[in-house]
Amino acid sequence: MANLTLDDICVRFGGLQALTDVSFSLTEGEVVGLIGPNGAGKTTVFNVITGVYKASSGKVDYDGSTITGLRPYQVLSMGIARTFQNIRLFQNMTALENCMVAQHSRSKVGVIGAVLRSSAQRREEEVIAEKSQKALDFMGLGDKTDEVASNLPYGHQRRLEIARALASEPQTILLDEPAAGLNPAESVELMEYIGHITDLGINVLMVEHDMKVVMGICSRIVVLDHGVMIAEGLPGEIRKNPTVIEAYLGQ
Amino acid sequence: MKRLLALIAALAVMTMVLTGCGEEKAAEKVLKIGTMSPLTGPYAADGNDIRQGAEIAIEVIKEQGGIEGFDDIQIFPQDTACDPKQAVAAANKLINDEVTGVVGAYCSSSTIPASETLAEENIIMLTPASTSPKVTERGLTNMFRTCGRDDHQAPAAVKFMKDVAGVKSIFIVDDKTTYSQGLAEGVAAAATAAGIEVKEHDHVNQGDKDYSAVLTKVKAANPDLFYISLQNSATGALMMIQAKRMGVDAILMGQDAVYHPKLVEIAKSAAEGAFCTFGAIDKDAEAFKTFVSKYKAKSGNEPGAYSAYAFDSAMAYLLAVKAAGTTDAAKVRAEILKLDFTGASKQVSYQENGDSGSNYTVYQVKDGKFVPYWNSLSGEKY
Amino acid sequence: MEFFIQQLINGITLGAVYALIALGYTMVYGIIQLINFAHGEFFAAGGYMGVILISYLAAQGLHPYACLGISLVLSMGYCALLAMAVEQLAYKPLRQASRLAALLSALGMSIFLQNGLMLTQGVYDKPYPTEITAGGFEWGLISVSYMQIFIVGLTAVLLVALNILVFKTRIGRAMRATSQDKVMAALVGINSNRVIATTFAIGAALAAAAGIMVGLYYGSVNYSMGFVPGIKAFAAAVLGGIGNITGALIGGLIIGMVEIFAAGYISGEYKDVFAFVILIGVLYFRPTGIMGENVDDTRV
Repeated sequence: MANLTLDDICVRFGGLQALTDVSFSLTEGEVVGLIGPNGAGKTTVFNVITGVYKASSGKVDYDGSTITGLRPYQVLSMGIARTFQNIRLFQNMTALENCMVAQHSRSKVGVIGAVLRSSAQRREEEVIAEKSQKALDFMGLGDKTDEVASNLPYGHQRRLEIARALASEPQTILLDEPAAGLNPAESVELMEYIGHITDLGINVLMVEHDMKVVMGICSRIVVLDHGVMIAEGLPGEIRKNPTVIEAYLGQ
Repeated sequence: MKRLLALIAALAVMTMVLTGCGEEKAAEKVLKIGTMSPLTGPYAADGNDIRQGAEIAIEVIKEQGGIEGFDDIQIFPQDTACDPKQAVAAANKLINDEVTGVVGAYCSSSTIPASETLAEENIIMLTPASTSPKVTERGLTNMFRTCGRDDHQAPAAVKFMKDVAGVKSIFIVDDKTTYSQGLAEGVAAAATAAGIEVKEHDHVNQGDKDYSAVLTKVKAANPDLFYISLQNSATGALMMIQAKRMGVDAILMGQDAVYHPKLVEIAKSAAEGAFCTFGAIDKDAEAFKTFVSKYKAKSGNEPGAYSAYAFDSAMAYLLAVKAAGTTDAAKVRAEILKLDFTGASKQVSYQENGDSGSNYTVYQVKDGKFVPYWNSLSGEKY
Repeated sequence: MEFFIQQLINGITLGAVYALIALGYTMVYGIIQLINFAHGEFFAAGGYMGVILISYLAAQGLHPYACLGISLVLSMGYCALLAMAVEQLAYKPLRQASRLAALLSALGMSIFLQNGLMLTQGVYDKPYPTEITAGGFEWGLISVSYMQIFIVGLTAVLLVALNILVFKTRIGRAMRATSQDKVMAALVGINSNRVIATTFAIGAALAAAAGIMVGLYYGSVNYSMGFVPGIKAFAAAVLGGIGNITGALIGGLIIGMVEIFAAGYISGEYKDVFAFVILIGVLYFRPTGIMGENVDDTRV
């Protein structure tokens, strides 16, 4: 169930080797941290998993089937959702609409049905709105339903990104620096939300610089440096790993 | 090995092509005629009428045994798009094709510059449709005109307005081409001179479909007669449809460019009762009947306004070449000036300046057909 | 006064037609920042398909209004498919290329479609059975034809439908999301190629409706009829703020009105000049067009 496995992933951009033989896996209900110095290739890993970049070699398996080469929207419909380091909400849509968009691949009424306002279409709209509202409630944004995204405070925008990812009913969520720009109190709150998410049986792969957050909630940690995996293990082990320390200090 | 085979094959093909060309050149002497008319753009319909008219003339001559000294007669149709620049380019293209005579163009604004280009190479040009007086007033010896002139058409139209229709006021609209505006100005001047009040002389643009604004003005001005000088029959039809719908009850009158079976086909009842000026055509003449039946058989359409003039223009050139026995421009010109034959449009003969005289008649749309109503030469109703 | 009212009615009718065509430009621009110069040809193709279908259905003995209704729907569908084919063939392969390449491809497509119409349908104008919608009301100098009411009414209905589609449905949300951020839209599960194709289809369907109305209103269609209204509608879209649906409506109405009033009060000779002077004037003070300020708000 919902196991994500990366197998010898390599990515090259022209002459630049961005990732070299990256292999790790993520199992149900797990929170895995992906860390490393700037430019280590963390976001590239996300882009390969979600189909934004194509891997030069290697494969990604999910839920028992290979997903390498799938287009981003197909990856999402497999059950992998994602957030961005720099917030990429649909700024002009309301909070609810942002979540409703994420239901796209879970609904199907087309143009003709929409124009005719068929009863199937109305029912589907209701279901979409209901599920989206639940996602907002879950992330503590229940009273911000009709607020336009760009008008929300920063911390709420961060949470809305996660709510939107949840609204697509994923089994895996990739969070790219969810704590970036949050104050310590907000970071603690965020850790609680991520905890709730794993309670739903959703596994989380997280890129994060805030070591408090990483060490606080990750069950396992993968460390990248210059596109190469230099360590993988429990938080306690990673903290003491000399290679990791060198990589960070060498910066 | 493969490469060698390919090389041999290519050489073989080349040899065949080359010998093929050589044979053709040695054996055939071809009389080449160009046509120039708008084959694309808003006036493509009229342009096709002209091309087809000329094609039928060649067909007829070929059926009569062709022209002695020539093995074949070929036609080179060129598109002018009613654009002066493209007309000159078309003329140059025809010069390269080594044509010796050209039928065209349609718009006076194309005919004038193209004829100057053709004059440099001593190529005869006969226009079936350009009615601007300027066409034959530049002293060009290669220029002939088979249709009438606007400075004859305007007085004929005004004479009809005053003497036959008895109107006291008119409203004039044109669409700003050399032809349509020139004619409209001629009508305005002649009408004022004849004591008819010109309530307004307004303009629309080529390519417009919506005439509601100008028609609201016409309705408010309430003239006795609404004179429509547009570049072609389709726009004329649009004007008439919208005029009727708006409730303009003035007499509608157009000119030679709207004289076309398509006018009635599109405007239907809205064109009923409308008048227009066009050259007198003897529909009982044998030449006209033959032309119409051949035209229908070839194109599947009724001949357009200028098809018969194009036919006669091509005919005049072919007959002159036949008589001269050569394509030498000076000799052909001399023969053209001697011509006097019954064409599909009229009795064709050319004057020293290249004109062939105007014989404008007022037609009226009756039961979906253009019916001769009044002859400007005799001053009598049919 | 009557003169003014009549010209106002004329202007609204013409403006409604421009607005319907402008919507297609604006929607396509909103989603892939392409000025689809072939859009005017969908308008012409719709007009032709309409008259062909109306004549065929009338020959089968159907009621004229039924003929009109069925033809309208089928022509809209036909142009939607045509637009999707054009998009697939001429624009999709250039999605990653420079904008100029796509623009040139659009110009080429326009020439191709126009000449295709000329070769298949001939150079002569094709008459419309105007008698279906003949008649109207008259009060003194003012006359309003049924056709004018029909044009304005249908435009209003289509606009409302489009607004619901864009702002209240799944497809509309996907269109708005794609126009704002293509990558993110894909990452929340939207197949952007399909959304783009749908946008083309909707724009072309609206243009087809405009084509049929123009055919019925003016009495004929012609292979080159797409060019001039295409340019005017494009100007309307830019004037209203390209990418903005409400802007297309406002722009269409303004261009239509300016043309009519310039022709009515000054001279028909200069109406296009006035229309474009207004366009330049507005763009000088508001480079993003009238609705430009909140351009992102409602753009598709």
